Amino acid sequence: MVFTNAVRRALRKARLTLAAYLLLGVLYLAFPHYSQFIATLMFYMILAQAFNIFMGMTGYIDFGYVAFVAMGAYGMALAVESLYELGWASIIAGFLLAVTLSVALASMVGAIALRLRGAYFAIATIGVNEGVRYLIEGANLVGGSEGVIIVRELRATFGRETANLIMTGLADLALLLIGITAVMITALILSTRVGYALQAIREDEDAARALGINVTRYKIMAFTISAGIGGLLGAANWALKGGYVEPAHVFNIHYTVEAIVMVMLGGPGTLLGPIIGGLFYGSMNYFLGVIKPGLQLLLLAPILLAVVVALPKGLMGYVRERVKDPRLKELLT
Amino acid sequence: MPFAELVAGTLLYGALLGVIYGIATAGLSLIFGVLKIVNVGHGAFMMIGAYTTYWLFTLYGLNPVLSLPFSLAIGALLGLAFYYPVVRRVIDAPEMASLLATFAMGLLLQEAARMAWTSDYRGFSWEVARLEIGGVSIYASKLIAAGLALLLLLFHYLVFYRTKLGLAIRAVVQDREGALVVGINVDRIYALSFSIGIAITVASGSLLAIYNPVGINPYMGAILTLKAFVIAVMGGLGSIGGAFIAGVLFGLFENVSYVALTGIEGVQPLVLTRFIAFTLLLVILLVRPKGLFGR
Amino acid sequence: MKSISTTLVAVVVLVVIVAAIAAFFLMRAPGGQEGAGEEKIVIGMPISLTGKYSVEGEMSLIGALAVIEWINDQGGVKVGDKTYMFDLKYYDDESNPDRVISLTERLITQDKVDFLISPYSSGLTFKAAPIADKNGVLMIAQGAASDKIFQQGYQYVVQVYTPGSRYLTSALDFVKATDPNAKRVAIIYKENEFSRTVAEGAKKYAEQLGFQVVFYKSYPADVSDLTPILQELAVSQPDIIIGGGHFQDGQLLAKQLAELNINAKLVSILVAPALPKFYEALGPLANGITYPAQWEMGVKYSPDKVPEGYEWYGPTIDEFLKYFTSVAESKFQKQGLKPSYHAAGGGAAVLMLAKALEMAGTTDTDAVRKAMNNLQIQTFFGKLKIDPETGLQIGHDMILGQWQSGSKVIIWPPEAANAEPIYPLPPWSEKG
Repeated sequence: MVFTNAVRRALRKARLTLAAYLLLGVLYLAFPHYSQFIATLMFYMILAQAFNIFMGMTGYIDFGYVAFVAMGAYGMALAVESLYELGWASIIAGFLLAVTLSVALASMVGAIALRLRGAYFAIATIGVNEGVRYLIEGANLVGGSEGVIIVRELRATFGRETANLIMTGLADLALLLIGITAVMITALILSTRVGYALQAIREDEDAARALGINVTRYKIMAFTISAGIGGLLGAANWALKGGYVEPAHVFNIHYTVEAIVMVMLGGPGTLLGPIIGGLFYGSMNYFLGVIKPGLQLLLLAPILLAVVVALPKGLMGYVRERVKDPRLKELLT
Repeated sequence: MPFAELVAGTLLYGALLGVIYGIATAGLSLIFGVLKIVNVGHGAFMMIGAYTTYWLFTLYGLNPVLSLPFSLAIGALLGLAFYYPVVRRVIDAPEMASLLATFAMGLLLQEAARMAWTSDYRGFSWEVARLEIGGVSIYASKLIAAGLALLLLLFHYLVFYRTKLGLAIRAVVQDREGALVVGINVDRIYALSFSIGIAITVASGSLLAIYNPVGINPYMGAILTLKAFVIAVMGGLGSIGGAFIAGVLFGLFENVSYVALTGIEGVQPLVLTRFIAFTLLLVILLVRPKGLFGR
Repeated sequence: MKSISTTLVAVVVLVVIVAAIAAFFLMRAPGGQEGAGEEKIVIGMPISLTGKYSVEGEMSLIGALAVIEWINDQGGVKVGDKTYMFDLKYYDDESNPDRVISLTERLITQDKVDFLISPYSSGLTFKAAPIADKNGVLMIAQGAASDKIFQQGYQYVVQVYTPGSRYLTSALDFVKATDPNAKRVAIIYKENEFSRTVAEGAKKYAEQLGFQVVFYKSYPADVSDLTPILQELAVSQPDIIIGGGHFQDGQLLAKQLAELNINAKLVSILVAPALPKFYEALGPLANGITYPAQWEMGVKYSPDKVPEGYEWYGPTIDEFLKYFTSVAESKFQKQGLKPSYHAAGGGAAVLMLAKALEMAGTTDTDAVRKAMNNLQIQTFFGKLKIDPETGLQIGHDMILGQWQSGSKVIIWPPEAANAEPIYPLPPWSEKG
């Protein structure tokens, strides 16, 4: 009963965010010509959300986060590469392997790195990301620097039409489902004691420990959940959609930086924040690129600086501070 | 080539590169030590230094050694130019705000450099001489770069421990409120520390360009930031001497592990040295969570 | 009170979303001017103007635009009984694979381009290929030398560049023909997909020709010291050293070979020496270093010398140069820019498309793709012919360039060469 109550509370909390995803889903269907743009937005939103579950809630910054997304991409690619003759089962196996690999890496990293604080933690995780990448490239594991390509396998099993559908429509549907999952998990965390525990850790970890909160347990929990969603994202967006998993791309730390930027823009630790941040960053970057090809990053930089200086708590933080109505405030968590 | 020479060469090059790594990390460590800010745009500032040396040499034929005062000055000004409008406002904000701000600063420099100078990979030819040291052939310019790095470190040390400014900086690091009480202008100390930190960072970019006068381009900073992070943490964030020693260790370690790895069949030793280096980082942090010389 | 704050929030949220969507619908790609009453064929091109491929990306864009202007000045392309002008729409993909996916789709579905030219680099082309194939739009892959893209079964992707597996074969052919005593080959390459394909292809070919591969190792991206690997390479006492990867590491490789005084009869490095900045960076040390290139200023391809089975098509080299300079100056404010092989490759992509359109006699994609199978042309870029099954380029040959006294010359193959080779390479110590 406690659990269903929590789900009910979470659903109420997540109304607006779920609506945002459903709206994107409708737009995707209504304007098939813009579907890949919408899919890109979803990728950014999910990346920000998944990252937020750990970083936003605990205040720990995981610079090597992209390694978990990469693990997911590898999980899917390896499953399809070796099991493609099984058809759909290979894709299901791919998602399972994706979560398994990213959660496994997260548990290992968590055991070591979560004992560290602040910048030490942030930089140790960079070490993990780069270490895994160069292990794969240097020891020539799972395809080495060439990575894994699964386009041919997908086409061999499903035929050209279906393979194309998998690499666009179905991968995008998977993105939508992953996004909704991420929303629900975040909402559940926020509406249970887990959320309060994580918040306590963010405010003052030592005090939280003194209060009898099992700090390590909650941190590892958030860390692995965040990694698992990242793994699903990598499986859907990079392996299934791109068809090609290349270490130089999937371990690129630029994605972590983008995640930090989006979470910061929207407001860390909130439900709606990463979504707003993802939408804002994704579309901003895109339109600046369309209007002034080659100038978008130069224009983006001052905008980011202005946001940091003017809105240190992110867009959501700014709006929430100015909203008086408690019901609206709740809607905007 | 006999094995002894192989090892000698590897050690010599590793140590020299390590000295450059060390000075390249000192600025990052200083800024973290005083302002508690991790400068994500670190490498972009080094890039500016590399271009400074490149342009002064290519356009005016200025001896790269003499470009050092210029990059120090440019760095100091850049530091102040970013401190007052931006950095000052994020010092007390959550860590994420300062990360985002320094990221945007780096992005701004990088894109401005691309607009101004295109993304061509540039280099210059300034070879004073080629020397033979213990059977190992090496350009004198590399030794000069390492020598200058040591000088810069000495200068840094003198500022820190032999001047009133240094005393004030150390006071702020130890106890900010206390420093305020005894009448230290903390804001000014922050501004100066940031400015000095960036100056050293830009100058280290110049030294890198003297050490390796090739491959200068607007995007060269990303990998430099990454390496500086790792070295800074290894040495203990905020500890400038620690950063330096860790830099040398890192340079040596990269090269020495190569020799050890060549015996393994089917692997790429030079690629695996990266894996070993990052594993070393994790091991150090496991044993000493605040780095080798962290407090 | 309540209504005010609610409105405020609603407005903030809505403005972001609506502005985003509205802007998306309203924006137009640069390039596409409306021509009154003319029949146009619109080509789309996601291309890197920023990020790590911006140099090559801009080059290939200018090259494509130059050939398009040439075609339009000739009165367009005759397809069946109609004549079409060419137009190009492009977006900056920031060298970012995710961006390529959405921009390619945008070009196809919103800008309604008729054909696509790929972004620069194999990695980015890999991302664009499924989108093009899904929408049944023919994509001419320029700047993508990977063999693997063409092993995936795509029906609508064809290649312009000589594939990576044949990149270093010209250097080996040259040595084989020049010096029967040179037997020991060292291969050193950057650990990434492209350089590894090149290295594997070179190794296989070297062994076929009877060379002995005495060293075969790689280094990681963004490397700043190659000493350990080069010292080990020196121990293997190679006659020729081939390999490399990209710009930064290519410059470093040459510099450190000289620094460590590792001499060989031939040094051939990928990508980096093909750009003028290589000489600026290396100075006289660059002299004698060779490089494989898809094309080079000064090649001797001309309408007077067309190989058996091929026909000449497109501008002459001088015409291409003229149009390249004018586009670079007028549209990109670049004075005195010289085309690299990336530029020529971008132009060649347009030529392949134009010729296939003429042969097909219709703008129907499937017919054009089919006509492409029979295309066999000699252009300012060299020979062009694809493998009908996979779309892989099989006609085009690499040339071997060499730096001599500060300029680039072509030393191989004989039909393209414009200078005598410097061989063997003099020791580094003699170059100062």
